Amino acid sequence: MHEPAPKSVTDLPELNPIIHGKLRLALLSLLSTVEEAEFTWLRAKTNSTDGNLGAQLLKLEEAGYVAIKKKFVSRKPQTMYRMTESGRQALTDYVQALKQLLGAAIDA
Amino acid sequence: MTEFSDRQELNDRLSLIESMIAEGRQTTESWGWTFALWGVAYYVAIAWSVWGHAAAIAWPVTMIAAGILTGILCSRQASRSPGTTVGRSLCAIWIALGISLFLFGMCSGISHRIDQHAWVAAVEVMLGMANATSSMILRWKLQFGCAIVWWTAGVVSLFGTVAQSRVAFLAAIFLCQIVFGLYMMIWRPERGRAMKAGAHHA
Repeated sequence: MHEPAPKSVTDLPELNPIIHGKLRLALLSLLSTVEEAEFTWLRAKTNSTDGNLGAQLLKLEEAGYVAIKKKFVSRKPQTMYRMTESGRQALTDYVQALKQLLGAAIDA
Repeated sequence: MTEFSDRQELNDRLSLIESMIAEGRQTTESWGWTFALWGVAYYVAIAWSVWGHAAAIAWPVTMIAAGILTGILCSRQASRSPGTTVGRSLCAIWIALGISLFLFGMCSGISHRIDQHAWVAAVEVMLGMANATSSMILRWKLQFGCAIVWWTAGVVSLFGTVAQSRVAFLAAIFLCQIVFGLYMMIWRPERGRAMKAGAHHA
């Protein structure tokens, strides 16, 4: 039986470097399950520090994957984060690429 | 980096996505205290109406106090919780139940147009309906079990004696409010922590 030729390196998809960071990936995965989430909830779920979390969320915001809304609840400021449509698409593409790469690694 | 560690890293990323999605969807365990609180409130109202002074105001006062306390604590908790469609659906069910029970309890108490059997049965089947709807949204068999207990208590109230009706009501409160509430408060967070630990190892 004719075996398919192994995929060359150029055939394999590249992983989006913005999403590939562990904390950014965790944040996008969390945000994909909710409509919007507060900063402290994301911090508790990821066990990260304020500084690191803020920096990673800023990167996601700059990439257009996350949208921010600031509001006041009981006179206390609250920052809410929401995944954008392009963020959802980027995460979907990332998971597809990951599966393709894993499949290629198993075939090799 | 070796090929094995590359593959390991990709698997880690996939596990991280799965565990974070599971973590994000886990929103129900933190509401166990409301079940326990209302279970205690029902017992206080029953005890007050049977043994206390001014029995006529036992139910309205206890229920309004429990409602205000729940409202304050829920508004604090809700502001920290993420918004989800499932969360909003569940919230809608329980708020609608609260309004229905309040109107039914207050109006039937004032009008005296309903006997004790029918009153208890109506409360029980309404609680059964809310638990059943929640359990179907969450696909949670244990909560559907609570719904069955409430419905059974409702049937017992309509067909049984006063004593049987009381025993069924007290048992349903104990099982479906206090035990179920404590179960959500104690066991479910333990499971959540175990899941989170798994995610960090990944």
